[in-house]
Amino acid sequence: MRSPLGGWPISFAAAAVCAIFVLSARAQSPVYKAPRTADGKPNLNGIWQAVNTANWDLQGHTAQASHILSLGAQGAEPGGVGVVEGGEIPYLREAFAQKQKNYANRFQDDPEIKCYQPGVPRATYLPFPFQIVQSKGVILISYEFANATRTIYMENAPDSPTDYWMGHSVGHWEGDTLVVSVTNLDDRTWFDRAGDYHSDALHVTERYTPISPDAMNYEATIEDPKVFSRPWKISLPLYKHLEKNARLMEFRCVEFVEDLIYGPYYKHPVVAN
Amino acid sequence: MSDRLLSRKRAQRNAVAALFLSHREAAASCALVSGFALAALIALPVAGQSPAVAAKAAGGAAKTGNWVASKTPDGQPDLQGIWNNGTVTPMERPAELAGKEFFTEKEALAWEKQVLARTNRDQRAPGTVQDVARAYNDIWWDSGTRVVRTLRTSMVIDPPDGRIPPLTLQAQEAQRARAELRQHPAETPRDRMLAERCLQFPTSGPPMTPYVYNNNFRIVQTKDYVAINIELLHDVRMIPLDGRAHLPSNIRLWFGDSIGHWEANTLVVDTTNFTNKTSFRGSDQNLHVIERFTRIDPETIVYRFTIDDPTAFTKPWTAELTMVKSPGPIYEYDCHEGNYGMMNLLKGARAEEKAAAEGNQK
Repeated sequence: MRSPLGGWPISFAAAAVCAIFVLSARAQSPVYKAPRTADGKPNLNGIWQAVNTANWDLQGHTAQASHILSLGAQGAEPGGVGVVEGGEIPYLREAFAQKQKNYANRFQDDPEIKCYQPGVPRATYLPFPFQIVQSKGVILISYEFANATRTIYMENAPDSPTDYWMGHSVGHWEGDTLVVSVTNLDDRTWFDRAGDYHSDALHVTERYTPISPDAMNYEATIEDPKVFSRPWKISLPLYKHLEKNARLMEFRCVEFVEDLIYGPYYKHPVVAN
Repeated sequence: MSDRLLSRKRAQRNAVAALFLSHREAAASCALVSGFALAALIALPVAGQSPAVAAKAAGGAAKTGNWVASKTPDGQPDLQGIWNNGTVTPMERPAELAGKEFFTEKEALAWEKQVLARTNRDQRAPGTVQDVARAYNDIWWDSGTRVVRTLRTSMVIDPPDGRIPPLTLQAQEAQRARAELRQHPAETPRDRMLAERCLQFPTSGPPMTPYVYNNNFRIVQTKDYVAINIELLHDVRMIPLDGRAHLPSNIRLWFGDSIGHWEANTLVVDTTNFTNKTSFRGSDQNLHVIERFTRIDPETIVYRFTIDDPTAFTKPWTAELTMVKSPGPIYEYDCHEGNYGMMNLLKGARAEEKAAAEGNQK
């Protein structure tokens, strides 16, 4: 029997069509299967870091000059297209006024300045690496900034008796995605240097999805009915450090902010200008 | 099967372990109350509970009684879980115990009772200096109620007299200078101890020794790393097992640079590259610590460390203590974010200076 494709046998033509379908399907929704740990879970172990300007401002922003004259270009703020899905953070009206106030006072009031633990999700996209250490019962995340640490309970999660700067994290696997529900977050952390903030009602749902051997996608859904009119989401890739000697260094910044915080009470006072 | 059930099965074969477990389960069932109350409960001695007769020579002990060392899914000895190293065993052997290396179980019980009676912070006559100086009640302290499980009379095992070798003249001078800073009202936080500044506790290590509270450590293992989450100041010691070399000597770290490897069932961790900011009982930046973690039963890790610092100590020395399984959890020990103590201490120092200046004018 002759096929419509000239002299090609039908079976060969069918195989070619199938191959095209398969290839186009893969191109549309690449399904990456992460390597496994010895106990069969997707292996997220490693040192990871975000490479973007989300810590400056989750929303899109243009570059700006440094607010410290002597720092020149070194202290200037880089631009970024933003990591908020849909572009805008849906503040309630009064809450937006507070955000604007935060923005105006951002170089005094941002808790990052005082080396306070950064909270979630900000710890993820600070310009510092963090290391995931994965076991069956718990996943430990150690952040370089301010030696902040989180324990994600994968089984037997205890109740949380109080709020924490880094929250209370309970995780589970959905396919290759690590899903973490974070509650009990302290209301004194911010989301970025632009004054984006939250209340003690914050509930963050994180999704860590491997997309290649050296990258995963990070999504965080933010719910906080005291501050936002609806849940909203940020999405950004995280990249694995591949340096042969990659390691977390110490950034024990408490020492770096003593003069700033306590300087006015020194015998010979030091005051930030 | 859950770890707890597994533990229970093993415990049925091991009377000593069962004794520990019943204690732990009693504590865990009360976990509805706050973590602090839980910690206090754990600290209560249980009547008739005798210390485990653990392997006295722990190095490399893979098997104790009926217990066979369990492995992680990666096939490495399993040290995972939450451990507490609080104890009433002193670092150095007291004069009254000279020549005695181990307690009998009976002697250990008597020692525990004696130490707890002597150190109870609720003994205070109202309004006395003692009352003020011991500001916290006993319930705030949680430094351990038991001797180390190996029944040693001191943590120091070498030199055999159980005493830390003398400091070098240079280290004595450095120690004197540090103490002198605290003899006058603090001009800046740098005149105060690192712990008051929320920078580092002297017991967090390496080596890791007991503090007056929060002596909890969580160990998490992967094929390539052992991570130790230290409750105090939420630090994590990340110990690579991939055979890498130490950092170049110009890179110095508060926790030093640790690299680890397995020797049979013992995790050996070698740490160098310390700063001159921390000091463990007089050590300086040349400190070299070798730690050995050996799990000897479901409830116990024997933790041995050797201190080699030729510029600080006149000879190397070795100590050993035990880390005992704890029901946890590990809490986020925040310090810097609420360090009102430092602010008030400095304000107080300025007030003292002002009062002194005004007094001089009169």
